[in-house]
Amino acid sequence: MEAIVRDVTEKNGNTAALASNVMAKQYDVLFRLLLLGDSGVGKTCLLCRFTDNEFHPSHISTIGVDFKMKTLVIDGIKVRTQIWDTAGQERYQTITKQYYRRAQGIFLVYDITSERSFQHIMKWASDVDEYAPEKVQKILVGNKSDEVDKRQVATEQGVKLAKAYGMDFFETSAFTNHNITESFTRLAEQVLAANRKDLDLLRMSVNDELDLSALEEEEGLCDRMRDDQQKGCWC
Amino acid sequence: SSSNSSFSRELRDDLVHSSSHTASNKAQILTMPQFNLRDNLIKCELLKNEDQYTYLEDFSIFLGTYNVNGQAPKESLSPWLNSTVLPPDMYCIGFQELDLSKEAFFFNDTPKEMEWTNAVGRALHPDAKYALVKLVRLVGIMLIFYVKKEHAEFISVVEAETVGTGIMGRMGNKGAVAIRFLFHNSSICVVNSHLAAHIEEYERRNQDYKDICSRLQFRQLDPTQPPVTIMKHDAVLWIGDLNYRITDLDVSSVKELIDKKDFETLHRIPLLFLQFHFKDVKFMQHQAEAFTITNDGQVPCQFEFITKPNEPTYCKPWLTANPPKGFIAQGASVDVELEVFVNRSTAPKLNSGAEEIEDILVLHLERGKDYFIPVTGNYLSSCYGTSILSLCNLKEPVQEMPQETLRKLVSAEMSLGENAVSTEKPLDIPKELWMMVDHLFRNAIKQEDIFQQPGLRSEFAEIRDCLDTGIPDSLPGSNHSVAEALLLFLDALPEPVVPYSFYPQCLENCSSASQCEKIISMLPRCHENVFNYLAAFLRELLKNSASNRLDSKILATIFASLLLKSQKKQDLGEKRKTQEFFHHFLVQGPS
Ligand SMILES: Nc1nc2c(ncn2[C@@H]2O[C@H](COP(=O)(O)OP(=O)(O)OP(=O)(O)O)[C@@H](O)[C@H]2O)c(=O)[nH]1
Ligand SMILES: [Mg+2]
Repeated sequence: MEAIVRDVTEKNGNTAALASNVMAKQYDVLFRLLLLGDSGVGKTCLLCRFTDNEFHPSHISTIGVDFKMKTLVIDGIKVRTQIWDTAGQERYQTITKQYYRRAQGIFLVYDITSERSFQHIMKWASDVDEYAPEKVQKILVGNKSDEVDKRQVATEQGVKLAKAYGMDFFETSAFTNHNITESFTRLAEQVLAANRKDLDLLRMSVNDELDLSALEEEEGLCDRMRDDQQKGCWC
Repeated sequence: SSSNSSFSRELRDDLVHSSSHTASNKAQILTMPQFNLRDNLIKCELLKNEDQYTYLEDFSIFLGTYNVNGQAPKESLSPWLNSTVLPPDMYCIGFQELDLSKEAFFFNDTPKEMEWTNAVGRALHPDAKYALVKLVRLVGIMLIFYVKKEHAEFISVVEAETVGTGIMGRMGNKGAVAIRFLFHNSSICVVNSHLAAHIEEYERRNQDYKDICSRLQFRQLDPTQPPVTIMKHDAVLWIGDLNYRITDLDVSSVKELIDKKDFETLHRIPLLFLQFHFKDVKFMQHQAEAFTITNDGQVPCQFEFITKPNEPTYCKPWLTANPPKGFIAQGASVDVELEVFVNRSTAPKLNSGAEEIEDILVLHLERGKDYFIPVTGNYLSSCYGTSILSLCNLKEPVQEMPQETLRKLVSAEMSLGENAVSTEKPLDIPKELWMMVDHLFRNAIKQEDIFQQPGLRSEFAEIRDCLDTGIPDSLPGSNHSVAEALLLFLDALPEPVVPYSFYPQCLENCSSASQCEKIISMLPRCHENVFNYLAAFLRELLKNSASNRLDSKILATIFASLLLKSQKKQDLGEKRKTQEFFHHFLVQGPS
């Protein structure tokens, strides 16, 4: 059997970029976002569209977890998002749950052409309650909005569920690039707002270039060290 | 046979003297888990420019191996050991079957050690002086390590270890001994092994080899460091009576091929998805599948199978991944083998269906994605690893029953103990045990060295299948194989014949025959039956000691360790007591 580790370059490249970005002060904060939902709802496609502006029509089920990075500017603050894509298949759920702990924001994704995937949102949400940090921000996403003829879940149903959970709601299409940037940005904004205290700290020191860069460099380093020492991804 | 081997000495340049990562410990560095990208890059650069700060120097090591078949040295070994023009820098001489006596086997004590060591010492090359650095012996497997006097000061960290792979995979009549040391900056491990005999037993030899590689571990001086295995050295020199034979080629053409270094390369089968299914997994039957991780990126990469939270290890105990972690330079690849092996500690729950062959490995790439690798399989339940009580309640072979039956039996036993199944009268003893003992009673009562010679793995598999399926009608295999199958059966019982709860009082009362008998009479009925049945059979064997060469001491040693087990590690004194306990039943029948 053969497994090609295609992503190694890219990942390590990213890491290097991350380090140098910190040094050059190319972003201010780093957030971890997580995509959850049944297999086939389009999590991987949403992520590819958002970070690379690509769309793959074929479904290659994710067997593992993987991340991509993208920087957003919100309120003048450079927010680096590390977005984790997870396996939706049921058999892996006991393992993927262990990754929730690291997330500051979570996308709960269903497929508007699949009633079943919508019903399962309840289960995903309760797992999030159990395994994710209390402060975690959530957003509901109904994907494949382009599939008008196959729709099984009405927009109102999505709106209603989101309301019940107190979440924001978007219908998206990775295919047509509908609401993609909007939904990712919204979640990042919420995470930013939820971490207001840290944000203020940042704002305060914006004028003090020197101090800030020193502070950040150290933070970045600590972050890396932590990652290296705790081998598991669920630290 | 003997051969010369040369390898390099690496000397650090003064410039890098202060660096903590020298080339010589690269093997360790590369396998250490906590490395970040920068360290890896530095390491790669260091490796690339290794020749700029290391000197290489050639040395010669004389490697020799000799299966002496229990004989004493009769003639000088000089023609063998003194066959090179120049004196070698080191000698590593291995012996097998040094002593075939029972004393050597059971008490690991032999005068032959001295005789052969002296014979070697007298026959070394006369043009140099040699120092004996280390000698290690396991029963008849011995390894002696000499070094030229002038090199002695460059030898350090000398350690020796042994591992037995003989009957039941433990006894020392087969196995390996090894010596590791540091010579200048190179770590070297010399292994002398005696693997299973018989052409068709290559599987067992392969198994022995793997066992040796995984079980032979050198402790480090620093106790916080993990033990070092054979393959973690810069150079591994492996000698011995390996018992592999090439039958289709004559000697000269084999030598020719070796000269050309024309070793067959392995083919890889590329597959898209990493998913593994192990079909019809059986007790003590290895199955393995391999896959390749290729790093086609531009930077080095580390991989590791990581432990899922709330689990003690990265995978279920019946599974191993080899290597479980590693380092892949850019453009390089690593073959990882997944191996399934159900042993006596994992069999009970699989037998009853309480657990299944099912696991998901998480392959973590440093700073990258985690791959999930599902491993599934179906397990064929066996009498091996099933309790005496359950087996007495099963009138049919284990695999003839729906697994549900076994599961219900086991859970009923858990809650109700002996009185669990009252509807039908249980068998006196497990029919599987009866089949094996009866077979030996009828065919092997006079068999020379019965219970001392290992059987064949292939025959064990047939015997196990016969016990579990009822096909064929009578047990296949040689007497030795049936004997080993019986020992393995007793060894695999989840609750020993003398249950754990009775163990302390057995020790306490071991000197009194009548007390010992009393304890046995208090065992659960089917356990008592099994105990008495075995003791009676062994007494029959002893009546034929003139032909089978058994004595009560040997039988007490073998069987006490299987019938009277402790949940903790036994010390030598405890072991003696269990032997004393069981010995009473071998010399006299129940009064
Ligand atoms: N029409 C349409 N198809 C989409 C859209 N998003 C994804 N798909 C298709 O849906 C299928 C599944 O998409 P993936 O992104 O691989 O699904 P996933 O949620 O990552 O699934 P798992 O990795 O198995 O958990 C693919 O065939 C995609 O082409 C969309 O917005 N519109
Ligand atoms: Mg996916």
